[in-house]
Amino acid sequence: MTNVTQNSSENSQIALDKKDLTKCWRAWMMYNLSSMSFERLESFGFCLGMMPALKKLYPNKEKRQEAMKRHASFYNTEPQLGAIISGMAVGLEEKKANGEPVDGETINTLKVGLMGPVAGIGDSMIPGMLIPILLSIGMALAAGGNILGPLFYIISFNAIVILGSYALFMKGYKMGAGSVEVLVSHKSTKIREALSLLGVFVMGGVAASYVNLNTGLEYVTSDGVNIHVQAMIDGIFPKLLPLLVVLGTWYAMAKKNLSPVKAMLSLVALSALGVAVGLF
Amino acid sequence: MFFEAVLIGILCYLGALSTPWLLGLTGGWYTLTRPLVSGMLVGLVLGDLQTGIMVGVAVQAVYIAMVTPGGAMPADLNFVAFPAVALGVMSGQGVEVAVAIAATIGIAGTIIFNFMMVLNSYWNHRADLAIEDGDDKGVYMNTAIYPQVTNFLMRFIPTFIAVYFGNQYIEGFMASLPDLVINTMTVLGGILPAVGIAILLKQIIKESTMLIYFLVGFVGIVFLKLNMVGLVMVGALLALLHYNYKPDPQPAPAASAQVMDDDEDEF
Repeated sequence: MTNVTQNSSENSQIALDKKDLTKCWRAWMMYNLSSMSFERLESFGFCLGMMPALKKLYPNKEKRQEAMKRHASFYNTEPQLGAIISGMAVGLEEKKANGEPVDGETINTLKVGLMGPVAGIGDSMIPGMLIPILLSIGMALAAGGNILGPLFYIISFNAIVILGSYALFMKGYKMGAGSVEVLVSHKSTKIREALSLLGVFVMGGVAASYVNLNTGLEYVTSDGVNIHVQAMIDGIFPKLLPLLVVLGTWYAMAKKNLSPVKAMLSLVALSALGVAVGLF
Repeated sequence: MFFEAVLIGILCYLGALSTPWLLGLTGGWYTLTRPLVSGMLVGLVLGDLQTGIMVGVAVQAVYIAMVTPGGAMPADLNFVAFPAVALGVMSGQGVEVAVAIAATIGIAGTIIFNFMMVLNSYWNHRADLAIEDGDDKGVYMNTAIYPQVTNFLMRFIPTFIAVYFGNQYIEGFMASLPDLVINTMTVLGGILPAVGIAILLKQIIKESTMLIYFLVGFVGIVFLKLNMVGLVMVGALLALLHYNYKPDPQPAPAASAQVMDDDEDEF
């Protein structure tokens, strides 16, 4: 780091300032999926995220073109956590443009090598945990149509992701290839484990609050006593039927590999059948 | 209703997966397109905030754990969040029926999503050519602007039609359905969240013993009558205990590294 700054001040080399970095971060966050297709996914999003830096680093058109080509190759990761890779690539391009021994192939290999692990961690952390947990709190606050619920979600989620992705981008820029160690270290694995435990716990609450199923079944015993099955269940284990449905769906999906759409269709069949025979 | 349909159509576009204008998927897909948020917005536009939020919460429960970007979509959440939630609010039926409507539209909407993914290959190709020509502006236009024009049309038009015409017909249509169908939809709307929850559990639960945390969370609401905020506090305590007291497995890194090596050899 200090080397870079010294070099650039001595030989009047090109250094990126905070404004350029912020521009790159914003461009990546905005355009990461804007031209997504099955074959290229985030390729050009990554390229646009590099553009503000490339324009400054490579005034020479041919060199810039070469760098753009490099950053338009196939790319796909979890965009918000992936800001760390974009930051890293910007940092490496800056070194390369200032004559340090970094070649284009190295930058590309690092990018492609990291996008998979970061996507795995990112998908399990953000849509897999952070969002469901914030949503369950928001949904509880929204009970009865209270506007506090959606507002809570909007503010908390955006604050966490905007500040977090910006910090990750800067971390990637400063620390280069080593920065991803932060994401895969033993400590962060433990944090992820603890969070996933919280996620499962909260899902129990979501299941209890938002899955509903009652049986209308009733029968008359030989003594003439009218028994409502639902009332009986409520006396022993309220919400037993929803619990069974959730566990059954989980079992079919996790152990029997039922796809989500097929799981939905099975539930359609279950409800139609149940209604037809008067079970529900 | 013309004005309302236009507004909901624009909101639908702003929340679509590839729309960049609200800081990409952070402010769009992961914020506007969460039914909890879209329910509030649709409710505001249609002048019934409370019903909007209630429908939003019910629909949100089904899609609480949808991990989609980049992968195959089991449902197009964007069409669930806007036209479907709007139809659910306008249908005048219960929240459960709104959930069943939304799930149906969600599955149908994946066709349009896949169409966009294929069409964007054309814009990608043009962006490639622009790089060859050294045309910076061309790269920008073919990545940020043109694909968004086609994306806008694919999001705005179906939403506008669904809301504008749906408003006239949905109530009559729902009233004309036989009781059996409405009852089925009501039951279905009640149990569909099981799918969203099961998707998340499938991802997180590595060993079946972890299911005990799910059961304790369930019991916390049903028997201990905690509300969700209280439950999250208790869960946070459990998570902290796990973090603090889980012993560090000393030989594990070497062992796991070896396993990884073995894997590489096999493939």
